[in-house]
Amino acid sequence: MNSLTAKRVNNLIALMVIIVVLLLLIWPFFYIFVSSFKPLREIMARAVFFPVEATWGNYETLLFARTPVRDFPRFLLNSLLVSLATTALSLTVASISGYGIARGKRLKSGLLSRLLLLFYVFPTIVLLIPIHGMFTSVGLYDNLWSLVIVYTAMIAPFCTWLLVSFFENIPKDLEESASLEGASLFRIFIRIILPLAAPGLVAAGAYAFITSWGEYLFALLLIGSSLKRTAPLGLATFTAEQYIEWGPLLAGSILIMVPVFLLFLPVSGYFIKGFTAGAVKE
Amino acid sequence: MNRIRAQAWREHLFLLPVLSFVLLIFAYPYIRTFLLAFYNVSFGARESYFVGLGNFQALLRDLDFWSAIGRSFTWAAGNLLVQMTVPIGIALLLNRRMRGIHLARALVMLPWIVPSAAIAVCLRWMLLPRIGMINQILLNTGLMDREMHFLGSSATAMPTLILINSWKFLPFGTLLILSALQSIPESVFESAAVDGARGFQMFRYITFPLLGSMIWFVGFVAFAWNFNIFDLIWLTTQGGPGSATETLPVLIYRTAFRTFRLGEASAMAVFVAILLLIVGIVYFRVLTPKK
Repeated sequence: MNSLTAKRVNNLIALMVIIVVLLLLIWPFFYIFVSSFKPLREIMARAVFFPVEATWGNYETLLFARTPVRDFPRFLLNSLLVSLATTALSLTVASISGYGIARGKRLKSGLLSRLLLLFYVFPTIVLLIPIHGMFTSVGLYDNLWSLVIVYTAMIAPFCTWLLVSFFENIPKDLEESASLEGASLFRIFIRIILPLAAPGLVAAGAYAFITSWGEYLFALLLIGSSLKRTAPLGLATFTAEQYIEWGPLLAGSILIMVPVFLLFLPVSGYFIKGFTAGAVKE
Repeated sequence: MNRIRAQAWREHLFLLPVLSFVLLIFAYPYIRTFLLAFYNVSFGARESYFVGLGNFQALLRDLDFWSAIGRSFTWAAGNLLVQMTVPIGIALLLNRRMRGIHLARALVMLPWIVPSAAIAVCLRWMLLPRIGMINQILLNTGLMDREMHFLGSSATAMPTLILINSWKFLPFGTLLILSALQSIPESVFESAAVDGARGFQMFRYITFPLLGSMIWFVGFVAFAWNFNIFDLIWLTTQGGPGSATETLPVLIYRTAFRTFRLGEASAMAVFVAILLLIVGIVYFRVLTPKK
């Protein structure tokens, strides 16, 4: 009895510490969110946590006071297209290669498949000049597809290894019996393997979407015209001029962050699990 | 024999999709940068000519380059100091079974998944003197006695950015440590408890040694990650004030795409790649404790 109460007190203390740590870590998001409803004079005055006269003004400026150079809805749409295309392409590429690695013992221990991850530790900055040159020479500079290609290359290797751990858990008998009944490899892959690896695909897809949605450096490098800017790039243009419009900036930041939160929180379980499964094995 | 070889071929065919992207976007550009480093190329110019080691000789005399290397290492070291310690604490805290722990783990991840651009612009506002919330909090709690322009003065800009960047990395480090913690069997702790290990003792003699290799792994991942950071610095200080936060990626970007000296920028990039390779080898061969 006594140890039970002790355990309860212990848990309660732990819970309180966890809440404090969480508050310390994520209060900025909450503060930015409430501040995005402040009118300019509150944003530019001595900081108070909650808005006194809450307003939609910042969002209205951002979404309706559009100019060709500053078309935030367009930026969001560009980001959405790029992220969706990158996610689809990364998942296709990663599921084929991940399946191959999961089923081929030689591949798994092979140098070539390990090499894929090696590129993550090399400095990205080394790639900038040739990639800029490459896309310019094939006429894909200032084209959203160039971003899709670069992002897929950045994301697919990680997704591949993430999926390997999910594919490995699918019993081989399933495939063999389907194959005895005359199903082709392609059919087995689409009908049996992919559905069973769905949690992995969700985790990998969320990773792909989130990473490409927020990427800044390659967008800065490969996009020239204002109509093709992605959201992070478009957001940065609000700070480029002498006068920084903090109101629309805060509202824009919220609009960039919210999709990420909405996408991540429901799948965070799979995400964390897929991630840790890969990390522990290494 | 032939059949085995044919099957090996078929297996490797599966790698083709991901490998083609990696070769196109990583391997080829690496080779290209290496070649460019020996040429004098300026942006947009059709003509480029071979200068041999000329770009590298210019680098050796370039004081900006050497101080950027110094700043990059300060940046890496400062970040590692936070990133190799704090995640252990958070992971220990989250490594227990109780109601709501999954939500807590998900919420901890938020700084990592949020786009850097949004963080950078919002924190610029929050760090301003007079109107920024962070100044306000530090003044009210008595941690500071006067307003600070955190990103605007060369003494504080670097430490401030290190804290922001480390904050963004914390979830990732925590996740890795947490996964290592969860792979330690419960029985290890139980038998240690029977032997009378309590609280800090338990951590010092049981948990910490078992985490060892993961902590070193986190350190390496963090180092590589930090070294690459461009967006956070570019969108807050652009390397300033003066050049107080101009790390290598910022300097290389500026040299290539603001002053259009592609050859020199390529030489810098090659230098950085070699430097990191050496750091990586030293880290794994010399520093990492053997099992």
